[in-house]
Amino acid sequence: MSTRRLLVATCGSWLVLWLPAVRGGLERDMALHMAVQMPLLIALGALVAAATCRFEPRWLAAADWLGIAGIAAVVLGTSFWMVPRALDQAIADWRIDLVKFLTLPLLVGMPLGLSWRRMPPLGRAFIWANFIPKLGAVGGLYLGAPMRLCAYYRLDQQELAGWTLIAVAVALGITWFVAAFIGWTPSCGKRPSRPSVDGAGRQRALHASAA
Amino acid sequence: MTMAVTAGRTAINPRAAVLAYLAVSGIVYLLMMLLGLTMRLAQAQWIDVPPNFFYVVMTMHGAGMVGIAGLSSAAVMWHFVRRYIPVSTAVFLTNLVFFLIGAVLILGAGFIGGFGAAWTFLFPLPAHSGGLWSVNAAASYLVGLIFIGVGFLLLHLDIARGILSTYGGLGAALGVKQAFGLAPAEKGPPPAVTASTMALIANILGILVGAAVLVISLVNLYVPTFTFNALAAKNLIYYFGHTFINVTIYMAVIAVYEILPVYTHRKWKTNWAFYLAWVLSTVFVLTVYTHHLLMDFAMPTWTLVAGQVISWLSGLPVLLVTAFGTLTVVYRSGLRWNPAAALVFLGVAGWAIGVIPAIADGTIAVNSVMHNTQWVPGHFHTYLLLGMVAMVLGFMTYLTNPQPRYGFAWLGYWLYLVGGVIFVIAFLLAGAASVPRRYAVHVAQWLPYDRIGSIGATVAIAGVLILVARFFVGIRTAASAQDPT
Amino acid sequence: MMTRGFPVLLALVLATGIAALAFETDGFRVVTSAGARQLSVERTPQILPDAHLVDQDGTPFTLGAYSGRTVLVDFIYTRCPTICGVLGNDFAGVLRSTPARRSGAGAPIDLLSISFDPADGQDALRLYGERFGAKAPRWRIAAAADARIRADLLRSFGVVVIPDGMGGFIHNDAVYVIDARGRLARILDPDTPAQLAASALKVAAAP
Repeated sequence: MSTRRLLVATCGSWLVLWLPAVRGGLERDMALHMAVQMPLLIALGALVAAATCRFEPRWLAAADWLGIAGIAAVVLGTSFWMVPRALDQAIADWRIDLVKFLTLPLLVGMPLGLSWRRMPPLGRAFIWANFIPKLGAVGGLYLGAPMRLCAYYRLDQQELAGWTLIAVAVALGITWFVAAFIGWTPSCGKRPSRPSVDGAGRQRALHASAA
Repeated sequence: MTMAVTAGRTAINPRAAVLAYLAVSGIVYLLMMLLGLTMRLAQAQWIDVPPNFFYVVMTMHGAGMVGIAGLSSAAVMWHFVRRYIPVSTAVFLTNLVFFLIGAVLILGAGFIGGFGAAWTFLFPLPAHSGGLWSVNAAASYLVGLIFIGVGFLLLHLDIARGILSTYGGLGAALGVKQAFGLAPAEKGPPPAVTASTMALIANILGILVGAAVLVISLVNLYVPTFTFNALAAKNLIYYFGHTFINVTIYMAVIAVYEILPVYTHRKWKTNWAFYLAWVLSTVFVLTVYTHHLLMDFAMPTWTLVAGQVISWLSGLPVLLVTAFGTLTVVYRSGLRWNPAAALVFLGVAGWAIGVIPAIADGTIAVNSVMHNTQWVPGHFHTYLLLGMVAMVLGFMTYLTNPQPRYGFAWLGYWLYLVGGVIFVIAFLLAGAASVPRRYAVHVAQWLPYDRIGSIGATVAIAGVLILVARFFVGIRTAASAQDPT
Repeated sequence: MMTRGFPVLLALVLATGIAALAFETDGFRVVTSAGARQLSVERTPQILPDAHLVDQDGTPFTLGAYSGRTVLVDFIYTRCPTICGVLGNDFAGVLRSTPARRSGAGAPIDLLSISFDPADGQDALRLYGERFGAKAPRWRIAAAADARIRADLLRSFGVVVIPDGMGGFIHNDAVYVIDARGRLARILDPDTPAQLAASALKVAAAP
């Protein structure tokens, strides 16, 4: 798909998500809001980043050393929109929802798409290893919370959202593990060259793999 | 550009890093053993310890020993797996730094804050101190554990990265194809790689689960209205806690695979059974934790039945191939025994013997009467003190090349062995006589066990002191030396 | 390569992100909108509209008529099978535990239950009041005079009402305290009658 087509498709999807019927439908339920609408918005931003990374200014790529700044933006941005009060505000006021519709793709999705490639394997794994339990813990807390966290959601919706987050965390954990077990890596782009630390270790490693 | 390369630039001597781990380990082992001895002496009524403080000591001894068991066996694993895969010394040292920060937080929680909810921090006990410790003390303990967990997570992830870059997948590094006869065993990964793969799979999954329950516990401390199902929390805690302590033996056993062949001048032979054993034990170590919940009647029955069956099987595959391998590698090899070889050999024996009381306790009918007796500390002290710790001490002795001072090391070895055996037998006999575990104050009928145990512990500590002392004597030359071959 | 831009960009990201999070959580003190409102009202009491209401006897009155007295307010609907009953009992307890009338000064605490359900007519309000022994004017069971006033009232108190999917409603279960100057001064979590009365008296005693 050409870059232009992809951009058109992304903007079109964004507008569809913004349609009152779609927006209202997805925000009526806490699980749909957190586990469908928000990830979709992030994914749109990441798609744009993947399609346009050629045009990324060089200073930005240089300043985003190892993808650390970008991934920090992702962590902070997702944390912000996980605050129950923020969910309430987005539902109560369309202007705040618009802020959400802009910040999730631009300040979370795009940095994710741009910085993830720059992050070394250990960093990526560490981010996964932090994200998965955090998601599970938030889900667990939703289940155990004695009160409603959002004024706009019922307790049963909150519980469903809790189970959904736990299910997503478990699914991500299993996927991650299976991918590492069978040695699967996403085939987009060039794989980073094999790192080496200690000269001797490297030689032995090569020797071992040759043997 | 990767972190690994950046690490390489700082040019830290990996051998010195391993020795730093072991130096910390030696000191912490001794201190924690003294805490353990304090408890036994208090139970023996030879010293006077206020019960509140007893539980602080128990918590610190538990957390400290589990942590240092992880740290020292990780040193064994890292030292040997480096021979086969690229790993980062910087990450290895980061783990040590995180460990020390975590240790300070935990010790502060206990000895300053009075935290005494046992190392397993069972939910919601940390938040219900009855006035014995503050919320901040409990939080300091939990945050300390998080620090230690993050360090180990980084270490295992880095080893995973190295393994993936060399072997492509964790399955290949575990030897799954060899296990099922789909590839020739001779082309299988070296034992150190297989064992490291199992350890990192189990520990990464365990740490992820542990992190989740730690975060929940922390939130509950500060916002008590946020609660969590206590049985679910117990499941998560034991999934993490059991896995973490259990995996130490699988990391330490790499010392057996790598050190014995050096002294016997024979290669450690791997065959399909070896790989199959490791594959099975990987599955078991991740599923066996429910044997900690055999007394929780609210658990679904099938999980308890699974816990019983799996705990019978759990350690056996690797233990059998290791014990058999040890015998074949030693038998008629003309091995001239030295303390390093003797210690790792003892480690295999201690592990094998320590499994027997475990199998008894893993049986539901036995568990319901034995689990809260000293039988259980008897079991885990057998396989940890005389198994895992023996392997680590063997590794320490091996690295610091003991030839000139064999006599001294032999003295340490025998004191440690004899004292350790007396110590664990006192526990097991007390357990068989229904002496409860975790009691600060003992009745007169229990004192003989406590006193024999105290004497055994004192002798064992003297032995470990000698072995650790001569490790420190040899540490300077060891940093620049080569491994004995 | 690490460039000089790296610390600048990272600092920018961290500062913006942490500032936004701090702003959203009122300095990491609240995570829910209810908690945020509680905190903000406590800091600066909020002016309320002089809403026109009708009580269980059909008597019209305005919020402004309470000027000079402290009022405990809760929001209910009369068919409510759950939390409103608890609130009603709590209010009845407050009624019993506070002196009915001081000579000349009027009751130290008045009670006001406002229904947000347009289906609640005067009969429904009266029956609800009889269930808990509420008598106007000490404890009024009231409804807004019209739909616009109802919406204004709910907005100014920060009450969110959503359908419970079974024909009823889910709504804030907080208790609101209006001070003698007619301002929303406190938002209390549901509590024992004694605690509610004590909190209200504290507001009444405040300068």
